[in-house]
Amino acid sequence: MSTPQASYICPYCRMESEGTTTTCLRCGAPVDVRIRVSNSGWAEQPAIRDMARLRFNRSTCQVSGAYVPVAEFNMHAEDSVYFSHHVLLHTEPSVQLDALKMAGGWNRRLAGMPLMMLRASGPGHLAISADHPGETLAVPMHQNQAIDVVEHKFLVATTNINYMWERSGVWFTTGSGDDTEYHYPLGQMMDRFTAVDSHGLLLLHAPGNTFIRDLQPGQHIMIQPSSLIWKDRTVGMHLHFEYPRGQYWFSSARWQAKSVWLTLTGPGRVAIQSVFERPETVGSVSGGSYRTTQYW
Amino acid sequence: MDRIECQWCKAQNEPARTSCQTCGAPLDKKNLVSDSGWAEAPRLRDMTEFRFSNSTCQIEGEIVPVAELALAPGDAVFFEHHVMLWKEPQVPMSAMNTGGGMKRTIGGMPHVISLAHGPGRIALSRDATGEVVVLPLHPGHELDVREHAFLAGTHSISYSFVRIKGLANVLHGGSGMYMDRFITNREPGLLLLHGYGNVFQKTLQPGEKVMVEPGGFLYKDSSVTMNTFQQNLRTGMFRHGMYLAEMTGPGRVGIQSMYVHHGSE
Repeated sequence: MSTPQASYICPYCRMESEGTTTTCLRCGAPVDVRIRVSNSGWAEQPAIRDMARLRFNRSTCQVSGAYVPVAEFNMHAEDSVYFSHHVLLHTEPSVQLDALKMAGGWNRRLAGMPLMMLRASGPGHLAISADHPGETLAVPMHQNQAIDVVEHKFLVATTNINYMWERSGVWFTTGSGDDTEYHYPLGQMMDRFTAVDSHGLLLLHAPGNTFIRDLQPGQHIMIQPSSLIWKDRTVGMHLHFEYPRGQYWFSSARWQAKSVWLTLTGPGRVAIQSVFERPETVGSVSGGSYRTTQYW
Repeated sequence: MDRIECQWCKAQNEPARTSCQTCGAPLDKKNLVSDSGWAEAPRLRDMTEFRFSNSTCQIEGEIVPVAELALAPGDAVFFEHHVMLWKEPQVPMSAMNTGGGMKRTIGGMPHVISLAHGPGRIALSRDATGEVVVLPLHPGHELDVREHAFLAGTHSISYSFVRIKGLANVLHGGSGMYMDRFITNREPGLLLLHGYGNVFQKTLQPGEKVMVEPGGFLYKDSSVTMNTFQQNLRTGMFRHGMYLAEMTGPGRVGIQSMYVHHGSE
């Protein structure tokens, strides 16, 4: 009679493995530490340990470095990954590089997104790194799982993950007439990744530290819009404006100075980074996507 | 008595030491090498101290490290003047004549390389997150370094600059027109570089090739040849060109993980 193998479900990536190594083979999180959760429910995503190996299909990915980590792939002949061409750091001559055409070229150019991706096919080694300090996040994806990622966070993905992009649907305007200004706190577009045939590996790069949280159905949380990294497709989002109480009812603080929040609504997982851009707070909101308002 | 060999610079150290007295690399930690043979530059511990000639160098900080040099009388270091963080008032300064003024202007390189002479202390740092890479150079060694990447060199090292050969390499290589060349003659020397992000090194065998993003190139032994390789890509009717630096051994190649991408159209 065979003994059933011990199974381990990683609390960070929710994937099952044998748990016999010191790091999760799917996402690189340590298996020998307790999950660190703040009192309010945010779990700190641990940095991938130096030289930790992740496994996908028949290939491995080794992450090294602390400030601007490098993801080095040891590609099997039948495996391939895709990425934006400017993140390629080094490659062996045996790795085949070709272009992966993106749909909607004109809109992508308008949105400042890359017009094409590079596809690298094994066998051989190649390495990818971002161009600013931060953490490399491994997001292993179950079959049919879909997540939305804020633009310019994407580093590399296995080719069994489908890549689409769509409008973020989160925007507002200030001013009117010819002076109307459009604001996109999340960017105009978001990347959507879907694991189609089997599970796949997605690597993102985000500055600062990363925190994750599972929202219950109907649960809300307000975050700085530019701190969002990714969310499950099931998580809804809309803008929320908060106006501070002014000294006088006619104070400009009542209509111009405001806090811009992104409200996320469960169910699903969200990931945020501790570094974010200063939001644009000046100007009276004249229109935009669905939003809520609070006057204090 | 057994001595410990530093895995980074191969210097011999006394058994009681925890960091190499020549390059500061931790001696009690395993060298981290990836599956394809890229070794991480040793992460120098805060306040690590090592020696050159009769002087010492201490590395302070980890995110944008500072190299603090305690120069002995008769010793000197050279550097680009804008990397100077602070100095003691009594440290004499002079300028090194680099020659080739017009070429350096065209190449966007500094005309004046500053020299600080001992005795006294001086501290140097660059302007972004990265690592200080300590490269002890043996007598008769030649090393080519990406322009604006060196932090300091000791007085026993000859500094010059070489034009990157081939118009394609200059236009598309992403490393500029010139590379700094450091040569030691009869005495050993110490070279400090600042690599943006993390730094990795690979030793190529004769004829072995590796393709590197040109912006990621940091340094190489002069025995390593560098050529620009054009990677042609097609999307429908459009053709795109992407340029990579093809490095061919024998010798060491150093790369940095944070860079500005160059050379695609």
